Amino acid sequence: MRMTIKRVWSILTALTVFAFLLGYLKLISTFLVVVLLISTFLKGQLVIDYFMGLKEVQLKYRILPTLWLILILSLIAVAYYLPPSVY
Amino acid sequence: MAKTLSIKAPYPPGDFAIWIIVYVELVTFGLLFVGYAYSRRANLHLFNDSQLLLNQTTGFINTLLLITSSFFIVKAVEKIKSMTHDTRYKSNIAASHWLLSAIVLGSFFLVLKLTEFSHIFGQGITLSTNTFFMFYLLLTMFHFMHVSLGVIILVNLYRKTKSQGYTSEDCRGLESGALYWHLVDLLWIVLFPLVYIIR
Repeated sequence: MRMTIKRVWSILTALTVFAFLLGYLKLISTFLVVVLLISTFLKGQLVIDYFMGLKEVQLKYRILPTLWLILILSLIAVAYYLPPSVY
Repeated sequence: MAKTLSIKAPYPPGDFAIWIIVYVELVTFGLLFVGYAYSRRANLHLFNDSQLLLNQTTGFINTLLLITSSFFIVKAVEKIKSMTHDTRYKSNIAASHWLLSAIVLGSFFLVLKLTEFSHIFGQGITLSTNTFFMFYLLLTMFHFMHVSLGVIILVNLYRKTKSQGYTSEDCRGLESGALYWHLVDLLWIVLFPLVYIIR
């Protein structure tokens, strides 16, 4: 589905407000960190697809920034959730 | 509305060189992000205590500024790409207005960041204070330099649109500058929750 740029901006703004409220209201918890990381992935993917314009080009060009985003956020999640003894 | 067939473009927008820069920056910042996350594991209380000295509201406003400026840049590129021979003047002027709006927001970002840095340095905090502030200052100052360069690039794009320098067929420079700005936005989108929110 092709979204309008205005809708993309609205979603990015809403997800940013969500992230801010988690921190500002001190609601951040072990469970909500994964929700925050998923919302960060969604934001990054929207920027890659609609702002950078990679949704309209062949997958081989779009996949690299997406893989970067998945890898970095996964490594952050691993660092957060691994029990201390494993480190 | 008629349903259109989705045909993927063979190449991404912008010059080849800008994509090299994009990937190099993604790898560089990626290493710093992962370095931060694993250093945090080893110094959990230090990172959580030090993070309390940061202003989350400033980080939030900065995120909104970058997201909105990126939106303005997309509108500027759209204006140029959708122009016809008859609308060259109008389209370039409209694009210049979008670019100017993005420059203003980018400049606000820099001013807010400078305020934040002056607050941090005013408390006697430096790169060598502790591991958290080493990463915080390294990441945010490095990003600050990228935003500064991005604003300079946008000013040049703005000047070119003011002289009707772009057409729908000849706008690779504009696309490349826009990509650089979106890269800066993408990096901040990961940096904000990692440094300001997660604890």
